[in-house]
Formats: sequence, C-alpha cells, structure tokens
Amino acid sequence: MTIAKRNPHKDQVAFASAATTGFTRNRGEVTAASLALEACVKAIDAAGIDKSEINGLLGANNGYIQSALGIPEVNYYVGAGIPFGFSIANAVGAVATGQCDVALAYHSIYRNASNSRSAANDPFRARAYAGWAGLGDGFGPDSVVGAVGYTAWASRYLHEYGETRDLFGYIAVNDRSNAALNPAAVMRHPITMEDYLEARMVRWPLCMLDMDVPIDGADAFIITTTERARDMALPPVLIHACTNGQIDLNEEDQIPGLHRHGQHVVVESLRAKSDIWIDDIDLFFPYDGFSFITISWIENVGWCGPGEARGFIEDHWVKDQQRLLIDGRIPVNPHGGALSEGGTQGSGHTREAIHQLQGLAGERQVPGASKALLPMGGFFFNSQGCVLRTG
Amino acid sequence: MDAEATDVELLERFPDVRLDHTNKHFYRGLLQRELRLNRCGRCGWWHHRPKPICPRCWSSDVVATPVAGTGTVHLLIHLHQGPPADGVDYARPHPVATVELDEQPGLRFTSAVEGAPDDLAIGQRVRLGWIERDGRPFPVWHKVEEPA
Repeated sequence: MTIAKRNPHKDQVAFASAATTGFTRNRGEVTAASLALEACVKAIDAAGIDKSEINGLLGANNGYIQSALGIPEVNYYVGAGIPFGFSIANAVGAVATGQCDVALAYHSIYRNASNSRSAANDPFRARAYAGWAGLGDGFGPDSVVGAVGYTAWASRYLHEYGETRDLFGYIAVNDRSNAALNPAAVMRHPITMEDYLEARMVRWPLCMLDMDVPIDGADAFIITTTERARDMALPPVLIHACTNGQIDLNEEDQIPGLHRHGQHVVVESLRAKSDIWIDDIDLFFPYDGFSFITISWIENVGWCGPGEARGFIEDHWVKDQQRLLIDGRIPVNPHGGALSEGGTQGSGHTREAIHQLQGLAGERQVPGASKALLPMGGFFFNSQGCVLRTG
Repeated sequence: MDAEATDVELLERFPDVRLDHTNKHFYRGLLQRELRLNRCGRCGWWHHRPKPICPRCWSSDVVATPVAGTGTVHLLIHLHQGPPADGVDYARPHPVATVELDEQPGLRFTSAVEGAPDDLAIGQRVRLGWIERDGRPFPVWHKVEEPA
C-alpha cells in the first residue's frame, strides 16, 4: 500500500475563474512578476471577488506578489509547481483541509537568453538568466533585509515600550537552563544574566546569545492519517490545527509595525481553528531563532499584552531553576530551543513536542503532557503555528 | 547633472545588483543622486520596494519619483561587525537606520547614517545625503538639528 488512494474531499474544491495575459514573442520591458500580476488582476476581476477574499497563494515569489496586489492577509502560500498540476493538487489540498478558503494560483513564463534571440538582446533578461546568485540590492550592510530585520524591530520594541536589552536575556538564559537536560543540545553549560549582558555584541541591540546556534544535524518525521498512526509502534500525536501567515506589507522595513505582521495572521487563524489555546496547554514552543521573536510570540499568543512581556516573564520566572515555568508548570522550549539546542528552524521544537507528548522526553518529561502550542517563525515571510495533542 | 544612464550603462554601473525592468528606475535615480521611489500616477500612493503596479489601485501607471529626502528614524541598529563594504569601518559601531519618509506614513527607506553620531536614537529627524561607494553615488542619512 504505497499508492495514495484516499479522496476524502472529492468534488469539494473547484476553479472559480481563469485568465491570461495572452502570449507573444516579445512583451518588452516586463518581468516574470509583472506578467503574473497582470494575469492575477484579470482572474480576480473575472471571479467577481475582492482581493481581500483571497487567503491562499500558489506561485513563485508569492511574498512579492502579495505585496504588489495588496492582499491584506494570507494563510497558505507555496512556491511554483511546474508543471502546473502540482499547484492544482496543492490548492485542492489546501482548500479541502482549510489551510485557505480562496486560493490565487499563477504561473508566469518569461523568455530567457538561452532560448530566445530577442531575449538575449535584452540585457536585463540576460542578467536574470546568467543567475542572480551572489548578487544583491547594492546596499551591502546598510540594509535590514533578511535576518537583520529582527534586530531592527527589536530596536523598535525597546523604543516603543521603554524597555532594555536584559528582557531578551531572559529568553537566552531560559533556553540554556533547559538545554542542560537535553543530551542532543549543542550548548549545555549554564549561563547567567551577567553572562548575557557581557556577551559579544553583534548587531545592537542583539548580541551573540540572542542568535540561534549554527549546527550540523537533522530531524525527521513520519506523518500519516491518525487511523494508520494508531497501528504503528508509538502513540500518535495529532495535528490539531496548523496555519501559516503573511501580510501585504511584508518586506522587512515596510511592515506596518509591531502590531501587524505575519504572527497576527497566524494567531487569529489558529485561535479560530483550535479548540485548544494557552489556558489548555502543557508545553509552549515559541520560535527563538532570535530571542526577540520569542518575546513577540509570548505577547501575541496572549500570555500578556503588547509591551508586557517583562512583567509576564518575571512573574513566571523560577529563580532557582533560572527558567520560565508558566503557572509553575508549562516549560518554554524545554529542549533548549534554537538558542541552545541548536538552530533547527523549528524541527527541533516539533520533535521535542512530539517526544513530550509520546512520553519519550527523558529527564525533561513533563508528566502527563497532552497538549502543545508551537508558534513558529518570525514576522515577514515565515510565520507559522500548530497545535499538537495526544489522542 | 549627467544624462540619464542607458540600460546598458546601468547594468555596467551595478554589476552586483539584481536589476530588472521594474527596479531599474530606482537604480537609475541613484546615479543622478536622486532617491526615486515608486508613486502611482493615478491615485498618488507611494510604495517601496519597487512593484510594477500600484498595490492600492492596481494601476500600472507607476512612476519612480524623487522624494524630498526628509524623515524620521523608525528603526535603528548598530553593526558591531558585518560584511566588508567600501568605506565601512566597524571599528566604531556602524549605524543603519530605517527612516519613515515625510511623503507618506509607513513609507520607509533604509541606509547608513553618515558619521555615526553619538546620540542617535529612534525618533531623530534626518535628511538624505550622498556619498561615493564602489565608484557610484550611494544614499545615506544625515542627522539634522531641529529648531527648538
């Protein structure tokens, strides 16, 4: 039984419209994205819907496409499937399972300098075809594109709430205290707040200990139907709800602010989908690629209000263990997180949640743990969240 | 002021940049020491980074338009280390500011703050200036003293 044969959502997903730019040998000074946008506008108009009804995107550069169309919020966004049948299958899966309700799928064809003489004569197409690897925006270090964006918004957080850097230090210390019990962790020696404040500054306001640890390693998972999982060797861990989130103004220096970015889309969606929220959980795995992201998740999932993380953390800090234990019982990244187990981009958090819910977490085991919340990713292009449970 | 660069000249001046038919107007402005951001010819909405249509009204009448070059620091980081760059010395922390421009709330542009002034902070008023980097004009921010 290796061929997928289930079709539980038969007849439940359909196309509402289709549109094209038309095709020519040379459309002049266009880009792959500008062509896609032209077709997208036509398809949206043809369907007679408002752009705000779209909450799923399937196609290349979907962050840019969302930003250019000004689609306020999406939960589902995946890259191009080529041939297009991949996108059809992805869309059916996404719509049928509630990852999105209205999906916009697009595919743009752009002549390149290898297969078209006229394209070879367009120097911009020639540069695109030669490859953009190693090329940038020409601003070098004077940019907040990429990971630096979190440092920039951390500075904004300190400014808006009159906060100080040691707030981030709690996250670093918590992770390190937890990692001491994790034999898989790369950084297991304890640190103190003094160590944090003396650590090498990298990009103020974030220092070495605010940033996840580069490692070698891997995690892997078997995912199947709950029914089949019950026949396998270990207790199943049910994916109770999951979503992604991205907003229109998604570029690092253009997001509206700390009050509106991908995390807010994730939280609104996940709260609606899930019967389980923070009052019900036993385990909390906020993403910690940078310590500041964890602060942001703590506030955005509703443990406290915006700017109130310090009060929350200090109220739930267990001094003799040098770690967070919410309400005296819910650990925060008990495996040590990305800051101390290692920078796994969320796979470590997911693995630890599963092991905890299967009773396999060894010395770190939270007795009787049955529900976990995993808000993953950051602000711009990669906000995610899921709720896992036993059952 | 020199004549506007042709497409070929533009590509020669920015060999390190992912130039395309949409963002080329922004980079062409840099060579003229003008910060040109996209503005919609129909509804007047500004946006950055460059898109081929207006994200608000979907008009394709988008024009790279010079901004006044005044604004307020919205995000501010100090690089204690970083990639090598012409004229950048990390011996003193190197400030990089995202500036909210006076043209429109939320319209922001990010670059270095020239001279690494000591008392720089979010909320500081700045104005655009130009230096040479890699043999071409490069936009930077200058701290300005506001009249009391």
